[in-house]
Amino acid sequence: MLANYLIGLREGLEASLVVVILIAYLVRSGRRLLLPRIWAGVAAAVVVSLAFGALLTWGPRRLTFQAQEAIGGILSIVAVGFVTWMVFWMASHARGLSAELRGKIDVAAEAGRASLMLVAFLAVGREGLETALFLWAATQAAAGSAATTAPLFSALLGIMTAAAMGFAFYKGVLRINLSRFFTWTGVILIVVAAGVLAYGVHDLQEAAILPGLNSLAFDVSSTIPLTSWYGTLLKGIFNFSPATTWLEATAWTLYVVPTLILFLRHVRRPIAAPAGEAHTDAPVEARLQPVS
Amino acid sequence: MKTSLFALASIALALTLSACGLTQTNTPAASGGAQEITVTSTEDACTLSETEVGSGNLSFRVRNEGTEVTEFYLYASDGLRIVGEVENIGPGLTRDLVVGVTAGDYITACKPGMAGEGIRGPLTVTESAQN
Repeated sequence: MLANYLIGLREGLEASLVVVILIAYLVRSGRRLLLPRIWAGVAAAVVVSLAFGALLTWGPRRLTFQAQEAIGGILSIVAVGFVTWMVFWMASHARGLSAELRGKIDVAAEAGRASLMLVAFLAVGREGLETALFLWAATQAAAGSAATTAPLFSALLGIMTAAAMGFAFYKGVLRINLSRFFTWTGVILIVVAAGVLAYGVHDLQEAAILPGLNSLAFDVSSTIPLTSWYGTLLKGIFNFSPATTWLEATAWTLYVVPTLILFLRHVRRPIAAPAGEAHTDAPVEARLQPVS
Repeated sequence: MKTSLFALASIALALTLSACGLTQTNTPAASGGAQEITVTSTEDACTLSETEVGSGNLSFRVRNEGTEVTEFYLYASDGLRIVGEVENIGPGLTRDLVVGVTAGDYITACKPGMAGEGIRGPLTVTESAQN
């Protein structure tokens, strides 16, 4: 039952990566106190998705195909907006670290605090309905006349693997030198968000809300099959689609290039420091190290 | 905190409301609801229980009896425009696609392995009395 395992793994990775980076960021910047907000957003997304999915599976009505694609597509694009805002908030926050350590009030953190839950909710919830429908279908298979629990078991195992990989990634990210941490997590989030954007565009193309579903920029399905483990990982982490439309490729490029340039300029811009105070990374790191 | 709670509630509400307007009934054809077509997808076949049905709400129950993940598509007669689609049908699973269709010729496709043209076949939808 490798196939069901891989679906669980892919959906799990799609949901967890952004959350993992958010958590690493908060821990690294000494804001563990804000973690419950992330978990609340994740929990809300899981509960809403499972409940909505159950209603559509056993209730009297089914979602139309267009509606499901539109929900997945629009939520994905909204999620990209929030993640992008998050990346820049993280960057300015990182730049403000020394100021914060000097005891100044961090206004940015207060603004971000209220939205952390929403970002976590969108990151998990954007494809939550599809995952929930898949899991409930597996539950039906387990409860049906054929009574095979293998698909449900494999799918759950896949999701747990994704969680374990998320945890390993978190541990790895925390080892990044603090001076590079915010730059790296920002770059990773921007690339992941670009994939989510392309994914959302594809959903809207399937629903015929956006045109060009059949104009493919490239199709490497035979080299990188979606059914393979590496196809699953590429899709789960970067939302890489082996058959990418021109519109997806364009949206990806138009997002990733300017956002990366702006972001890198943003993090490299020297902080306007009071005269006589050197702003190297080392002292900041030395002072912050006990946090993690 | 209040703002984010409010935003979460709005999203949940918007989803539910949009769902109400964008769902289709699952009640049987006899009572004016969806007609059920069983689709069996294997590695090399895509079998429909019926290939000629009346217009209105169609409910495809797609069962994957193959070993790879499959998808089921309902295309317009040009074979390009997607009328309805259901993805992530793992081996051993059955998933539903409910879609409202008008009379005309359609093309169905199962895509074991989630790539390529898929295993295609015709579906004729005739004008039904109740519509």
